[in-house]
Amino acid sequence: MVALDARNHRIEGDRRHLGRALSLWLLALLLVLAVFSLGHGASGVSAPAVLLDRLAGRAIAPTDAVVLFDIRLPRLLTGILVGAGLAVSGAIMQGLFRNPLADPGLLGVSAGASLGAISAIVMGGALPAAISAAIGWHLVPLAAFAGSWLAMLTLYGIATRQGRTSVATMLLAGIALAAMIAALSGLIIYRADDEQLRDLTFWGMGSLAGSSWSKLQAAGPVILLALMAAPALARGLNGLALGEAAAAHVGIRVQRIKTGAVLITAAATGAAVAISGGIGFVGIVVPHLLRLIAGPDHRWLLVNSALLGSSVLIVADMISRSIVAPAELPIGIVTAMIGGPFFLWVLLSNRRALDG
Amino acid sequence: MTARACHSAGCGPRAALMALIAATAAALLSGPAAADPHPDASRVLSIGGSVTEIVYALGQQDRLVARDTTSNYPAEAQALPDIGYMRQLSAEGVLSVKPDLILAEDGAGPPETIALLKQAGIPFETIPPGTGPGGLADKITAVAEALGVPDTATAPVAALQADLDRLADISADPAQKKRVLFVLFATGGRITASGTGTEADAIIRMAGAENAVQGFEGYKPLTDEAITSAAPDIILTMRRGGAGAEIDAKAEDLLALPAISTTPAARNGAVISMDGLYLLGFGPRTGKAALDLHDAIYGTS
Amino acid sequence: MSLAARNLAIRLGRALILKGVDLTARAGCLTAIIGPNGSGKTTLLRALTGELAATSGQVVLNGRDIAGFRPHELAALRAVLPQQTALSFPFTATEIVRIGLTSHPGRETDRDDLIRAALAAVGLPGHAGRLYQQLSGGEQQRVQLARALAQVWQPLGDDGPRWLLLDEPVSSLDIAHQLTVMRLAADYARRGGGVIAVMHDLNLTAMFADHLLLMHEGRAMGEGTPAEVLTDDLLSRAYGCRLCVNRAPVQGIWLLPQLASV
Repeated sequence: MVALDARNHRIEGDRRHLGRALSLWLLALLLVLAVFSLGHGASGVSAPAVLLDRLAGRAIAPTDAVVLFDIRLPRLLTGILVGAGLAVSGAIMQGLFRNPLADPGLLGVSAGASLGAISAIVMGGALPAAISAAIGWHLVPLAAFAGSWLAMLTLYGIATRQGRTSVATMLLAGIALAAMIAALSGLIIYRADDEQLRDLTFWGMGSLAGSSWSKLQAAGPVILLALMAAPALARGLNGLALGEAAAAHVGIRVQRIKTGAVLITAAATGAAVAISGGIGFVGIVVPHLLRLIAGPDHRWLLVNSALLGSSVLIVADMISRSIVAPAELPIGIVTAMIGGPFFLWVLLSNRRALDG
Repeated sequence: MTARACHSAGCGPRAALMALIAATAAALLSGPAAADPHPDASRVLSIGGSVTEIVYALGQQDRLVARDTTSNYPAEAQALPDIGYMRQLSAEGVLSVKPDLILAEDGAGPPETIALLKQAGIPFETIPPGTGPGGLADKITAVAEALGVPDTATAPVAALQADLDRLADISADPAQKKRVLFVLFATGGRITASGTGTEADAIIRMAGAENAVQGFEGYKPLTDEAITSAAPDIILTMRRGGAGAEIDAKAEDLLALPAISTTPAARNGAVISMDGLYLLGFGPRTGKAALDLHDAIYGTS
Repeated sequence: MSLAARNLAIRLGRALILKGVDLTARAGCLTAIIGPNGSGKTTLLRALTGELAATSGQVVLNGRDIAGFRPHELAALRAVLPQQTALSFPFTATEIVRIGLTSHPGRETDRDDLIRAALAAVGLPGHAGRLYQQLSGGEQQRVQLARALAQVWQPLGDDGPRWLLLDEPVSSLDIAHQLTVMRLAADYARRGGGVIAVMHDLNLTAMFADHLLLMHEGRAMGEGTPAEVLTDDLLSRAYGCRLCVNRAPVQGIWLLPQLASV
């Protein structure tokens, strides 16, 4: 009876119930996909069988244990965090720049990360042995993360005067910065040998194949913290949709929202790109689709972007590791191949709404 | 539960670091040590074109269950399942072919995958790169030893040695060495050529000729003037086969390029094109390849 | 209680836009700011909202310097209707009005009631579920007005009057809706709230304003009742053309909003 009352009293145009219902469906979808992803892989190791053996205290073949607990599980968790991080970052950037096509690339995050990775791949060998031994194969992710933050902080510094950040300056300076970073990357790439070039190409296409517990331990908390902080931006981003002045008029601390948005995006995207390379389209397609279903209210958009982003990446990863098994396709190719046409379809079928 | 905790502790950053330091130290101390023998291995995964070629040369191909993308010689090898590019291997993909021995050329990766494969208890033997005449024999021997059949190396090594000896006999007088320009790509009229320190540079020197480009390491785009001043007597290119064939440089196209048209090579129409893996693979056929190249440069001796 | 500018100067970049303006807008009155394009009307309004910081002088809201307010305190005291709002995402009318309640301390059901009431007040009760982008320009303007109204719904609170600051509220509306919106604003003032509106239409200004400020080149050229400010001399000097009030043309058709009836 109470539920019925609530339904009768809902105002027309209030789509929060859609967001709430969608979040439950997306959570269920994510859980199903996660279980499915754990259970399937090129090696044919059966997850239930291994788990039963473990519960019953029976011996497990070392290969099976490695496949389940050191390959599939960290890879699944990495996929969930990276997908959520990329999709939420995309939604935040679109809210901040007031443009449904914005992505963290506008903050120089991607260019910075790729410069970091390129430097590490090409010049990592020149590091003193003591340092390279201490960092080991984490050098590329670390350099990518550092690069993304360096680029973002530079841009934020350029665009901020007297405590106010100009989003327009950030956008334009971002283009200039990206050009400079591209030139610098080109300079470094010029020195690269054949193998380094192939490594660079593969890094740019993204992959979850290098997932491991140690990478997850390093990057997971960063992405998780960013994801947990993101909902605090929701009301502010809703207000920003009316413009900065109007947002301030309804009581939003606009500068705090901008700073928060930049930091959260840089943390989530920087860490995601660092451990998985360049994975495109998730950050644009996922929030766009969700806006079509349940509206642009960021209070549900951010949560649902995290859930759908994770699911999309898990599916893309399952495709990437099964389509050419036993080899695998870089996941960035899969997301772009699914994401590109899908995005076009969404755009074309909603053309009237967009133009109107 | 204890097993699980133990599990994650075993692959934390500290543990990974310790393993890395230990591995580095071991590598430094032992040098290019012979691989451990695995005579009972019946499901061998071969990673790297030259390693696969050596397995065939040793007559051990029946023990292979899979290969990587770079292993496309001999043709029968292409019937084996392909586990992907050797520097971007996926751990589960590799495990799915259920290997009981992995033979990998130097540079297989990424390191995370290699670490997981070792953790899964699969014997993993890295074969030294073997550029240079002595290294090649070592490479063949290393593969034979890893497979636990050292005797099978005798014949291929002897054949290789015979080729190398013959090369040494017929090699031209150092004063009359011809200058060879190796062209990797000539797409859009832009020449990417080999400097020093490459497989191309090594095979040119083995064939008793001289690399016309000495100023840099690796494969780099060259300016027109640099090509003119390199004044090569011979242009050497490779055939990629399959999908790569489209970017192969054609002799007539090459000679028509303004930069090349001024060189001695253009005056003599001297363009040599050889199969890529044969020419640059540094496997058991390399002695033959160097001989063929020598003959192509200096005429049949 | 009042919203007042005291010798207010504003510099934007290098240009001095306001050169020492005084204005006292009282609660219970509809105060209109008029003047030619570029005279500083909108800049003055932006300073009165607290959006632009004073270069010198001050803005005093209900007896307190506006620079000392925190954003949510200010949001509880005054709402702003901008000239026009381009929206980046497809929100519904309801969702837009709800954004106006960002700093509202009340319960969820109170907010829902406010949203309904505000949309009804601007004559759009049936448009709650429509997407903003699919509304006409006039409807969009009224949804924005509903957002501002909902933000400061009670004109008079325990701690003083609430304020509606309107930047050209009727510029994109047809005459019927112009009258609706101006009546809403005048009614808000009659119930004890304060209203300040930047106006282009001098007839509507004469009809609804209790108090007028005539701006010219960054200064106040006149302040007072409509009868004091809307004179041939002041208007002609401010707008740079001959103007005569209360005189009918000899021929041709003309029309006054004063004679409209609902």
